[in-house]
Amino acid sequence: MIMREPAWRVFASEFNASTLEFKGEGEKDPAYVITPLGAMINRLFIVGILTDVQNLGSEQEPYWRATVSDGTDRFFIYAGRYSPEASNILSEIEPPSFVAVIGKSRTFVSDEGRFYISVRAENILTVDEHIKDNWLLETIRATLRRIDATEEAMQMEVPTIESLVNLGYPAVLAEGVVRAMEHYEEPDVNRFRGTVLEALEQLLPDRGFDLPAPRDMPISPDEIEDEDLDDGEQEEVILSLIDELDSDKKGAPLAELIKEATSRGINEDELEEISNSLLDKGLIYEPTIGRMKRI
Amino acid sequence: MMSKIELAPHIREIARVLEGKATEQEIERDLDNYLNVYRMSLEASRRHIVRKYGGDPADLSGGESRSLSQLGLNEGSVDVLVHVLSTTMREITVSGAPKTIQSGIVADETGATMAFTVWDLTKAELKSDTNYLIRYAYTREWNGRPELHLGNRVVVEERPSEEITVPEDISIPAIGGRSAPQVVKIGELRDGLNNIIVTGRILSLKSREVDTPSGRKTIHSGIIGDETGRVEYTAWEDFELMEDEVITISNGYVKGWKGIPRVSFGERAEITKLDIEFPSADELSGEVLRTIEEIERNGGAFDVTTRGTVVDIKKGTGLIFRCPECRRVVLKGVCQVHGKVQQVPDLRIRAVIDDGFASMTAVMRKEISEALTGITLKEALDEARETMDTETISQRFEEYLLAKPLVVRGTVMSDDYGLSMTVNEARFFKPDVRSEAEALLSKIEVI
Repeated sequence: MIMREPAWRVFASEFNASTLEFKGEGEKDPAYVITPLGAMINRLFIVGILTDVQNLGSEQEPYWRATVSDGTDRFFIYAGRYSPEASNILSEIEPPSFVAVIGKSRTFVSDEGRFYISVRAENILTVDEHIKDNWLLETIRATLRRIDATEEAMQMEVPTIESLVNLGYPAVLAEGVVRAMEHYEEPDVNRFRGTVLEALEQLLPDRGFDLPAPRDMPISPDEIEDEDLDDGEQEEVILSLIDELDSDKKGAPLAELIKEATSRGINEDELEEISNSLLDKGLIYEPTIGRMKRI
Repeated sequence: MMSKIELAPHIREIARVLEGKATEQEIERDLDNYLNVYRMSLEASRRHIVRKYGGDPADLSGGESRSLSQLGLNEGSVDVLVHVLSTTMREITVSGAPKTIQSGIVADETGATMAFTVWDLTKAELKSDTNYLIRYAYTREWNGRPELHLGNRVVVEERPSEEITVPEDISIPAIGGRSAPQVVKIGELRDGLNNIIVTGRILSLKSREVDTPSGRKTIHSGIIGDETGRVEYTAWEDFELMEDEVITISNGYVKGWKGIPRVSFGERAEITKLDIEFPSADELSGEVLRTIEEIERNGGAFDVTTRGTVVDIKKGTGLIFRCPECRRVVLKGVCQVHGKVQQVPDLRIRAVIDDGFASMTAVMRKEISEALTGITLKEALDEARETMDTETISQRFEEYLLAKPLVVRGTVMSDDYGLSMTVNEARFFKPDVRSEAEALLSKIEVI
């Protein structure tokens, strides 16, 4: 039986943390990106905010790059002549808008050995908020299931596909988790619990979040150092600056933003970090290069 | 009497063993003599001829007629000399048409036993407690063991009772059942399970009469269910089943059709009627929720409900035209079977539904397509007339359905292209986001 590859539900932060590609021996065997939590992704289904679309090709032969933010990070989506439907839609869509993307995982390793990961769109369409909310719920559940499976595997002396399947995990997930364990050694499951909480925050915006331990835990030690500033407050400052400077509704010019931010004690590097974070959260987008706008 | 053509492979085989010690004409004459004048078995004749010309009969053992224990898993052409221990008739569905086949158990002189199936009753029909030389049969693997299949090339010859002496103490295995009895829930049933013990309530019951070699028989079929699901059953003997009663079937087996399991039980099964607390027929007729991945594990399912997102719309969705004779989809008014026909318009959806771990194709008929998309067949026809094209309707269907979560109920089968559900009910899924999110949050906060 030829099984169609399932469309995995993963958050961008888990997908982008992947550094493992797996391909079977046969020429026609599909290639998979294996995430730290063992999602074995050939195809995926994404819902988020389209924050940016650019044509990297030509007018005659467009090659689109879009970024879709799910609130935890951004997916890089590509569509060219091999996916005419998705390509057509990207040529018409105006960011920001909620979109659903069905696509295939793609990887690229640079000469320096850096691992780049993206999605080649098979289909893309605009959707409403309900679809986004349902996707968040599904992806939270799927992520928690992967966290469970990973923790089970971590307790096993030698994790095997069979023992995970016996515990009730789907065979595709069991295989992914076993392969992930070999490659990532000790996957940082708490980091992804944090991702799940970020997603839950989107669904329960008015609920006071008592963030439990996982979220405060640093991802890696060197990130603690410049934590002395309050990120939340700074983000607020930048957001209101973007509003203020967006006088012509085409977005706040970056040059002015840098000037105003510096006068409020936020230097250029910090500004870049903050705007990246805001882009990831889907709160702002770049309508054109050099301009920032509120969503 | 065996024909010349049937004897030819044996003549060649004997000539091979004798390495030129006798001509094929001599062998043919001798074989005819032994078989038809002295009425010896083919096996014995072959050995005698080889010995007569100074060959070693042991060299024949690699030849065609072999003991059951020597047979491999997937052999193309085998000849065996066997004694039939038991037989039973079964009705199966082949390409939508009912067909009767025979199955049972054979044994040979070594005491080895094997299950057999006769696929073409015009070629052979075996009687119990009788000896046969079965030629041009083949074997197929089943649960790691070979089974003997008698197809349309088979040649069967009844042999005298003194020719084979089956050791007396061999036990007759249950049909196909060589494993220990296994208690299973209806939701766990999948094709190929044997010697199972299942308890359930009979939710529906139909009887019909069939003709078998042992006379007219009443067989019952219907639906049986427990709290994990429902499944179709067939009782090949009259167990006086009654609708709504709770029974335990011991030594039943599952014979699937395209992955849809069906519990069967015949003369080797035991039925116990129970007077116990058990969910009522009403309680057992509700939706049985299963994930696509769970259905995939079982290879199919009878009347289940599952949930997933539409991630693709397949060709043949939207406005289609059918042959009035056979309901096949026609292209440009030409049916592949009935030629040029007065085509009948219809609506259909073929959508890929995916829950993130597995996917299946869901096929939805007109009424369901209309209800989901709000586009009626009449509107679709009007629009197609206007645009001279059915493509726009397919596109509108896609817009309505793609990326939407659906709940579908139906029967799921599997073939080379994966799972496919014939949908009987479908609706869009709308989660209560707030309460589900709260529930998930509390799950994390506990950790």
